[in-house]
Parts: sequence; C-alpha cells; structure tokens
Amino acid sequence: MSAPASLSLRALRKVFFAGTANEVVALGGIDLEVPAGQFVTIIGSNGAGKSTVLNAIAGTFPLTSGAVSIGEHDVTGQPEYMRSRLMGRVFQDPRAGTAPSMTIEENLALSLMRSHRSGLRRGVTNKRREVMRTDLARLGMGLEGRLKAQVNKLSGGQRQAMSLLMATIADPGLLLLDEHTAALDPKVAATIMGLTGTLVAERGLTALMVTHNMDLAIRYGDRLIMMHGGRVVLDVAGAEKETLTVKGLIEKFHEVAGEALAVDRMLLD
Amino acid sequence: MEFIFSNALEQGLLYCFMVLGVFITFRVLDFPDLTVDGSLPLGAGVTAAMIVAGHSPFAATAAGVAAGVLAGCTTGVLHLLLKSGGSDATNYGPKLLAGILTMTALYTINLRVMGRSNIPLLGVDGVYEKLAAALGISMINWNLILALAALTIVVKYILDWFLHTEFGLCLLATGDNEQMIRAMGTNTNLTRIVGLGIANGLVALSGALVAQQQGFADVGMGIGTIVAGLAGVIMGEVIFGVRNISWVLFSVIGGSIVYRLLIAVSLRLGIAPTDLKLLTAALVVVALSIPTIRSKVVRG
Repeated sequence: MSAPASLSLRALRKVFFAGTANEVVALGGIDLEVPAGQFVTIIGSNGAGKSTVLNAIAGTFPLTSGAVSIGEHDVTGQPEYMRSRLMGRVFQDPRAGTAPSMTIEENLALSLMRSHRSGLRRGVTNKRREVMRTDLARLGMGLEGRLKAQVNKLSGGQRQAMSLLMATIADPGLLLLDEHTAALDPKVAATIMGLTGTLVAERGLTALMVTHNMDLAIRYGDRLIMMHGGRVVLDVAGAEKETLTVKGLIEKFHEVAGEALAVDRMLLD
Repeated sequence: MEFIFSNALEQGLLYCFMVLGVFITFRVLDFPDLTVDGSLPLGAGVTAAMIVAGHSPFAATAAGVAAGVLAGCTTGVLHLLLKSGGSDATNYGPKLLAGILTMTALYTINLRVMGRSNIPLLGVDGVYEKLAAALGISMINWNLILALAALTIVVKYILDWFLHTEFGLCLLATGDNEQMIRAMGTNTNLTRIVGLGIANGLVALSGALVAQQQGFADVGMGIGTIVAGLAGVIMGEVIFGVRNISWVLFSVIGGSIVYRLLIAVSLRLGIAPTDLKLLTAALVVVALSIPTIRSKVVRG
C-alpha cells in the first residue's frame, strides 16, 4: 500500500477539435503543485475545465502539451489503465463506479487487487472478505451482511458509497472526485460527503474534489481552487480559506468572470 | 422417442462448448461476436485435415482449438484497430465489423486448411474411436453421451474456476462496466482479446468434436452458428435461471440440450431441415424482443 502522493501539473494545455471551427481551449496552461496529503476542492462554472483537469490527470485523453507527475512518476505518456494504479476515482454517476451485475464482494475484490497485476489466484478470498466486512461496516449501510448481493440491487447512495470505498480501499496515493455527490438527493449526498471527509482524513489521501457546490468547497478540504475558462483564477489555502464565505466566493467569481467577459468584448471590438 | 432424446442429448453436448463460447462473448464481454460462424468450421477443418494427414486425433483436436483461439484473438485485435480511439462500450459497430471481417477471412482460410470444401473422416480413427479402443467399449449412444458429459463437466469447472480468478473477475467487469475496471488499472483491450480467444477456442472445440462424430468436416457447417448459440444461451437463461456465474454456466449447457431437443422434435414433426435456420432466427427474435415489448405494454 502506498503513502499519499504529491501531484504536479506543469503547463497543462488541452485543445479539443484543434484546427477546426469548433476549436475549444479546455485547459489554457494549468500549473498546480499539490503536496502529499492535501485535500483540494475545485469550483468553477460549466465549461471552466474542472472535470477536464481531472481527466487529464487520469489520462482519459492525450494532452496537447504539458506534463503530469504523481509522486515521482511522470505519467504524461502513460495510458489510462496503467496510471490508474496510482489513483482512485469516483464519478458523478453512481452507476459509473461499480460493475452492476457482479456481486458486492466481487466488486470489492476488483478494487483490492488493483495494486498488482491480476493473475490466476482466486479473486474473492476469505482474507479479502475480512477486509471487505470491516470496511463495509464503516459505511453504516449494512452492506457487510450482503456480500453476495448484486450491486444493481443497491440504491444510488449505496452504490456511490461502494464506489468511494472501492476508490480508496487499496490506499491509492491520489483520489479524484468528480462531482461525486451531485446526482444524489441532498440527504444521501450529505452522508456520502461526510464519508468522503472521514476516508480522506483517515487514509491521509491526497484528494482533488470537483464540485458545483460552493458551500461544500468551503467546508471541506485544505485548499480551494476556482477555475474559469480553462485557467486557475483563484487559489486559497490555510487561514485564508478558513475565512471564505459563499457570498465572498460569488463576488470573487463575478469579479473574474466579469473581467473575462470584458476582455472578450474588447477582443470583439 | 428414446432415440430422439438420446440423439438430441448427444447433439446438445457436442454443441454446448459453442454455446458456452457465445455466452462468453455475448453476455460476459457484451461483444456480439460473429467470428463463431467461422471458428466452428475452422476447428472442424484443422482437426479433420490433421487426422487425415495421420496425426493423433487428440493432437488434431487441440490444434483445432488453438486455431479457434487465434481466430478469436484476431477479432479482438481488429476491434482495437476499428474502434478509432473512442472507448464507448455500447458502440457495437466496430465489434460487429471485427467479427464479420474475421468470419469472412476465415472462409478462405478454412478452404486453404482443408484443401477442398469437404473432408470425409470415414475409415480413420477420431477421438471417439481411440477412446473406445482404450476403454474396450463401443463409443456409441449412451457411452458417447457419458464421455461427452464428462468432458462438459470438466470444461464447465475449468471455466467456473477461471471466471473466479482475479483475471476472470477483470474479464467479467470488462463486459459489465469497462470504464470502471479501466479506472482500476486493468488493460481492458487485453482482457477482451483473451476473452474472445477463449470463447472461439470453445467454439472450435465443438467444431472438432462434431466433425469427428458426424464423420466429416464441411466448410459450410458454421453457417448460423451465432444464432444457434444465442438460442441456446437464451433458452438456458430463461428455463434454468441466471442466479450466479457458476449456475448460469450450467443453464447455458442445459439450453444447448433443450435447443437440440426442440430441433429433433421439429424434424420429427416433419419440418424440413432447411427450414430450421429460419425457425431458430424467429425464436431468437421473439426471445430477445419480449423484454422490449413487455416494457412498452406496461408503459401503456
């Protein structure tokens, strides 16, 4: 099992549909150093590039330019599945993080064996079941008694709790959360968010959480980043973050967004 | 009547490896693989050609299976080339095309391997004759059925074991939620290729066993394999249930037998053998469309 990893993004650029009329600069040069164990929340409007940053780290698409390092590994040229061993990911759609027609124990076994190449050893062993029961019990959803239940029989909240557990159970160095509570009803979202805070703190994970919810972004994490138009426009940590309010953030947002609009107009003129 | 039943049982067991192969592609990998129409005669052709050339029928059968594995892997690699970077798991176009291409290419390869369109195996010993000689019994009727049943159980348990290994779980997850298992660090391109290889190896095993049982390999014997396989899979799932993977492997084998029983009864009722493919296709259409129709009706 690995210790939390630092994350380093250097001059990340991603241009979609380059050279066509639909060209979009999704990431316009992102520099970000995240020390090991830091919990960063990322906010911004639609199209700001929040999810694109996470996908760039995960390797979902090749970068236009720039470099990504996790710990001492430069993963820039690595395919998605290879660098996946270094990070856990949870997506917005609760169905995305689990295999629906497989059982709870089979899903968790998949996440427990992520740290090594899968071989011809038995996937679900009694030793792994022990680990699963202990970890499932901490979700407080009674799933530890339903190891052989198919995941598609679970509720959205239960599936997202499973996804979160699966992303963290093998102690990856890095956790990427892409609006992972946005599709849940408020009460369940609060439960999952609480669980996220506990897991990240307990396992000392380096975490990046994208959210639309400014309140969540302020309450959780050690550092807050606001993105706009593919750039980081605000980066606060420590004592300064403690004093942030939703109202203050919104003002800040309008300040930057308004500026961007003004620049656009100037360009048009 | 007993003859019809034992005959159907024999056919069902001969073809159950093919149905297991179709189950692995269609259900486990979510990959409707048309390669099977070519890998069945490939298994038969390679085996027959080698037996006629004087090789041991066991080695010949193993070579037939290996050829099937290779054919399946080829489809996997073609799919990789055709899917053009996109990783949308529900995009069936490249999957279907990869299978069609391999199937078509296999027609030529099968003719090359066999040297002609039909290889008779009369007067030469296949695995059944060798086994009969070794055991000192005749390999007909119930003895043959018992031998096939024993092989079926062995293959079933190997598959069952394999699908519960770490790699096997990754294979299951590749068809169930590819995005998720890739995020867990699995190379899903590799698991898919391996899965297609295993599936087509099983299909080729049926081809090899059928050829030796009926006494010839024919280049046209694979036509409609995918549909017959689907019929077996669906009937097995509907009749025997899908409780878990170990159970469903038995269900699918049962489905293969029930399907051959249905065919035997149809023939007995006077339906022309040439009409069976249309009937089978209709059966698959009905079975696959029931959920769609039911949901429409319920929605009103």
